[in-house]
Amino acid sequence: MRKAKVYMDTIVDIQTVTQKSTIETEEKINRAFQAFQKIEQACSRFSHTSECMQACQNIGKPVEISPLLFQPLFFALEMARLTDGLFDPTVGKLMEENGFNRHYLTGEVMKSSCTESVTFRDIVLNPETRTLLLKKPLVIDLGAVAKGFAIDLAAQELKDLDGFVINAGGDLFAGGLNEDGKPWQIGIQHPYQNNRFIDTVEISNEAICTSGSYERKNHEKVDVHHLVNPKTRRSPQEWISCSIIAPFAMMADALSTISFLLGSEKSKSFIEEFNIKGIMVTPELQIIQTGGI
Amino acid sequence: MGKMDKKWIILCSTAVAAVYSAGYYTTESQAANNNNQPIHQIAKNVQAKQYTLNGSKANSDQTNNGPQVSFGVTPNANDNNTVSKAAPVNSSQKSSKYKNGTFTGQGMNRRGMMQVQVTIQNDKITDVQISSWGMHYSESDVVGLPDEVLKNQSSQVTNVSGATYSSQAFEDAVQDALNQAQNTAG
Repeated sequence: MRKAKVYMDTIVDIQTVTQKSTIETEEKINRAFQAFQKIEQACSRFSHTSECMQACQNIGKPVEISPLLFQPLFFALEMARLTDGLFDPTVGKLMEENGFNRHYLTGEVMKSSCTESVTFRDIVLNPETRTLLLKKPLVIDLGAVAKGFAIDLAAQELKDLDGFVINAGGDLFAGGLNEDGKPWQIGIQHPYQNNRFIDTVEISNEAICTSGSYERKNHEKVDVHHLVNPKTRRSPQEWISCSIIAPFAMMADALSTISFLLGSEKSKSFIEEFNIKGIMVTPELQIIQTGGI
Repeated sequence: MGKMDKKWIILCSTAVAAVYSAGYYTTESQAANNNNQPIHQIAKNVQAKQYTLNGSKANSDQTNNGPQVSFGVTPNANDNNTVSKAAPVNSSQKSSKYKNGTFTGQGMNRRGMMQVQVTIQNDKITDVQISSWGMHYSESDVVGLPDEVLKNQSSQVTNVSGATYSSQAFEDAVQDALNQAQNTAG
């Protein structure tokens, strides 16, 4: 069975391989889709009514937030600490300024108030009370983790099936085996040619996420895309695409973004330290595989 | 050399577990998930906007004076949106911008068309399902496509990892559905 819906400004496609009844399978797929709906409602920075944007109205006072927001934010802050702010969920305002400010369904344009300089250190999470405290007005962007987290939650719903793939616009988790009882073959998009792969990988019970600069660009400024280094406020151009294979989609999602931002020199050792696999592509189409693919 | 993956794997699995232990997936009703509309629930006149051949949208406002684009869909549909009987009229209905219900919209670019079903409740979009996809994409573009497009194309590669796919066609399709959902009176 295969179904596709739209969440988080992308097409989420779920396909399954199973002997279970249509009704049972459909129910599981619907619950998997719900994970995307809920995470979007919790984490979106494109809607004033999302839990995240609501919580960000409160400055200097702790507010309780749901695990749907707390968990991906916690993960993002840990990644921010690890990378000393190269990965930083407070880039929301910068993203808005770069033109990534429009809700894909409603067309609503966000114009948030934000202090000049903010970093992840202005966000304080308390795991005991599950509260969020903002030291300054800022816009939280969970773009690099929320979709991955939704994929992981969706995978949890489908884990009893013989096989499944949850593909959220190119970030995906492949569970079990395909119709032929083999690992899933996943093509990696060629950055310049729509109808070609640049590589293929075989995975099972793993996620693969790709961060690439070739799809989401600023329409006015040629060198600005949706991946931005918060320190330089620029979009790096050393890679054109970074794919990461990891046990969880949230990990693959964040780490593909980080590898992209780290650039060619540092990303290889970073990936090796994580014991994961990466396939990076330079603008000249040189392919670099790392982590024992 | 100490590998760092353990900590992050634990963080991820803890995060998933935390959501479940909070009961989010057992208590929620599925009321908003009513998606049993027939696929060809298409209004007689697809209120097409103006499209240019390169696939970009020529006007994004909601005037409907552009050329009518025919997509070859059987016009057996009824104009009324199906949900009116399910939704009792209440006071908030008066000022609402959209009718409640599920509406089908289409978007196209130079490679074909796609169709979405947009479900609206109380002026909120609660669901967008891809109901058909007639894009003449090659295999690697088959990301998120229903079965019939897939068939058994030459290899097993039916999934592609790539930078987040974005499509003007799908925005157009959603907008088309919204146009049909719009309350005309008042």
